[in-house]
Amino acid sequence: MFPTMTAPTAPARRPILQLVGVRKSFGGFHAVQGIDLDVREGEFLTIVGPSGSGKTTLLRMLAGMDSPSEGNITLHGERINDVPPNKRPTCLVFQSLALFPHKSVGENIAFPLKVKGVDAAARKARALELMAIVRLPETYHDKNVMKCSGGERQRVALARALAYDPEVLFFDEPLSAIDYKLKKTLEKELKDLHRETGKTFIYITHSLEEAMVMSDRIGVMRAGKLVQVGTPEEIYGAPVDRFVCEFVGEVNSIEVTRGADGGWSGVDVSGAFKVQPPQGIAEAGAPDRAFIVIRPEYMRVLGPGESADNRVEGVVYNEYSLGSRIQYQVRVNARDGGEKVMLVELSRARALPAGAEPRVTLGWDATDAFTLRG
Amino acid sequence: MADLTIVQHAEAPREERPARRLSAGALCALPVIGLLALGFAAPLVAILGYSVATPRSFDVFRSFTLENFAALFDPTNTVWLSFLWSCGFALLTVALLAVIAYPIAYGLNRVFGRASAFISVLFVFPLFVSENVRLYGWVLFYIKNGVLDGTLKWLGLNGGPEVLYTPGITLFGMLYTYLPFMLFPMTLGLALVPRDLVDAARDLGAGRLFIWREIELPLAMPGILIGMLLTFVLAIGATAEAKILGGQSIIVISHDIEIAFTYSQNWPAGSALAVLVTFFIGALTLFALSKLDLDRMLGRR
Amino acid sequence: MTHRRTHALIWIWTLFVVAVVYLPIACGALASFNKSRYFGFPVKAYATDWWEKTLDSIEIGMIVRNSILIALLVTVLSVLIATFGALAFARYDWKGRRLYQKLIMLPIFFPQPVLGLAMLLGFSAVGIQTSWMTAVFAHLVWVVPVVTLVIAIQVYGFDPSLEEAAIDLGCSRLQVLREVTLPLLWPGIWSGMLFAFLLSWSNFPLSLYTAGADSTIPKWLYAKMVAGYTPMVPALGTMATLGAAALLLTGGLVGILVRRRTAS
Repeated sequence: MFPTMTAPTAPARRPILQLVGVRKSFGGFHAVQGIDLDVREGEFLTIVGPSGSGKTTLLRMLAGMDSPSEGNITLHGERINDVPPNKRPTCLVFQSLALFPHKSVGENIAFPLKVKGVDAAARKARALELMAIVRLPETYHDKNVMKCSGGERQRVALARALAYDPEVLFFDEPLSAIDYKLKKTLEKELKDLHRETGKTFIYITHSLEEAMVMSDRIGVMRAGKLVQVGTPEEIYGAPVDRFVCEFVGEVNSIEVTRGADGGWSGVDVSGAFKVQPPQGIAEAGAPDRAFIVIRPEYMRVLGPGESADNRVEGVVYNEYSLGSRIQYQVRVNARDGGEKVMLVELSRARALPAGAEPRVTLGWDATDAFTLRG
Repeated sequence: MADLTIVQHAEAPREERPARRLSAGALCALPVIGLLALGFAAPLVAILGYSVATPRSFDVFRSFTLENFAALFDPTNTVWLSFLWSCGFALLTVALLAVIAYPIAYGLNRVFGRASAFISVLFVFPLFVSENVRLYGWVLFYIKNGVLDGTLKWLGLNGGPEVLYTPGITLFGMLYTYLPFMLFPMTLGLALVPRDLVDAARDLGAGRLFIWREIELPLAMPGILIGMLLTFVLAIGATAEAKILGGQSIIVISHDIEIAFTYSQNWPAGSALAVLVTFFIGALTLFALSKLDLDRMLGRR
Repeated sequence: MTHRRTHALIWIWTLFVVAVVYLPIACGALASFNKSRYFGFPVKAYATDWWEKTLDSIEIGMIVRNSILIALLVTVLSVLIATFGALAFARYDWKGRRLYQKLIMLPIFFPQPVLGLAMLLGFSAVGIQTSWMTAVFAHLVWVVPVVTLVIAIQVYGFDPSLEEAAIDLGCSRLQVLREVTLPLLWPGIWSGMLFAFLLSWSNFPLSLYTAGADSTIPKWLYAKMVAGYTPMVPALGTMATLGAAALLLTGGLVGILVRRRTAS
């Protein structure tokens, strides 16, 4: 269902970092409420969630800047809950990047080497190597880091983290303040760098788009809990609940109940629907409630004679251009005389002709939708 | 420490403002500039005028002689001794206060949390009590049969040491008076060190001493330097400590100036001395200030 | 954990220094309640005699009035000048700004006894008789730069686009000042006023040389300390301190209350 995703090169998939029942509370506020997670060695794992979902708190615990209130974090099977950040083989790329403003590009990159007591000549040599890896010109070695552009600073921060030679790299939304085009470039470079270095990357962001592009696996967080962990395909194609589903993108959802005869009928939209049985809802026994979720791009406008498993009548009242696609807002008749808006996305080639009759029939096949517990 | 001007993170360049704004800024500055021209620059010109007037006269702007300055450079003149006392005490004050104030400044930024506002007020308030009153309190503390002496005797000991009217107590008084002037710029300076940078350095393997030397100290330096400069300059001009606590066991340079103006009624001689002190302080201040970016120091909270 | 021990040491050190800072003030208060004329510790008999005498003294009443008058005038004038000065310092970009920012620091970085003497010379050179009025002027020279910095810190936190938005919505320059700029700068101006009053109230070196025959509280105290100690010295000193504390406390509370009210 998900478009072109090259299968990541398969490194050894044993867990490097394990979280068991990790919780963090500040006073009465529970920022992280019980997280179990195995991070596999060499993978690119992204944690996504809206702001306030606890993802930064989680990251700070992994990096060692906070310790969990409960639960255990283990690295290679050893408990590291209270190991300070400077004693962990992990490194964080900060949201602010945290570059040292009083040091040059080279000095910033060589900082972890200076900590280890590496001599000046070797430091410079390694800094230049790392600069080549992150595609910074050699002439930047002595440049004031504050005179670098946003993208260059990203590269300096990345090179500095690599200079520490960590086993696991953490990223706290480092691309959030970068313009769209540069962000796309840097996302790809980061992905390449991940493949080249073979290190474990754990990335935090609120942008699912970013997560989809780069990750081997994605974990979705909400209110301090990991709601779902899976490959981008799994998150997109089989979200476990409406939150994940709506977080992934705009969706149409119809609430349905199962009658005594086993057939499903709409609660908010009138009609009977053919539905794929949702997971976890008992096959027998009735009535049960569920939601049918149809992504706008799987919704069709049915021409005369075309058929689909499900259909609803509606009136087009608004359209938006999304570039290569067009989105239509369609008002459909809801139960109790109310109205409900459904979204349909069509490619330009299949767009509704100008001046066409606004009354349309929407349709979708049961296999194009998924059913979630109510 | 070639250049202390540190440009903060991705700070967008200040937008060019239309020409009308230029005059708005200058207009707003006008009252202050007028005040300082009349109240600060003009008196300095007057001092300069007196310093080249005939000794022991009041012929300002009507006579010209360099005799007053020549007298200062006369080897028999004791002003150099006063100047050395002042400089030496000022340097000691700066060095000791840096050590005394640093832990407090660090605490105000990192340790005290919500209490730090209240603790700051505790340190500001003495500035609103005349230094006479505070220094005289120390006299009452150290004097014979005073608080210290009385307490020690009451405890059955020999009584307090005779510290009053010694050079040491003068230094103590200076430390006491100028503590806030070191503490607050230092606190401001430490506040300029972003928490992230310390965390990042730790994450990259650095220990506490390494972080302090490589990150905290260099980034807090502008504030620390302002504090040191302010303390040094004020301590150079200090008189009250030497007079009230020190009992004139040493003569400081400002006291020499006062004596010339009051007892010996030799305004031109006092002026010449004041001109020298002014040049010394002015050069030092302007040199240090030229290396600092005040926008950055005060603008960040 | 060593971290915790360092924090504990910092707390202990700070509290110790605070105690030292307030020790002489406490000693002064103690001396003012001593019944006998000469101070001795432990105090044998406490009495409020010297407080009563101080409060009854006509001379001291006049001096206190002088101090209040000077401080009030300095407060009003310095806040007027410094508010604009702070806008020039932090709000507007203009050609001479960098230089102006540095020049304004000079009076703060200047030893006050020397500044006071210089002004005395200046006044005498142009033939102005020194009095409480010249003292007001002298205080302004030192207080205005300080208050400018205090208000400037507030101005830095002020978003200039708010003024532009107000103009865009049809306000005149004066209305912008009244409706947007001043209300937002108010906390800074309020602290500036407190600073101005209290700094003038406690100033000694400038008053010594520029107030002429008129006396202020610190000046009178100094004269009596040097020659003719009576327990009225610590009594008046303590009163001045308590007055400053009361003003600071009320000022702070008013500030907090106003902020609460505008926030709700």
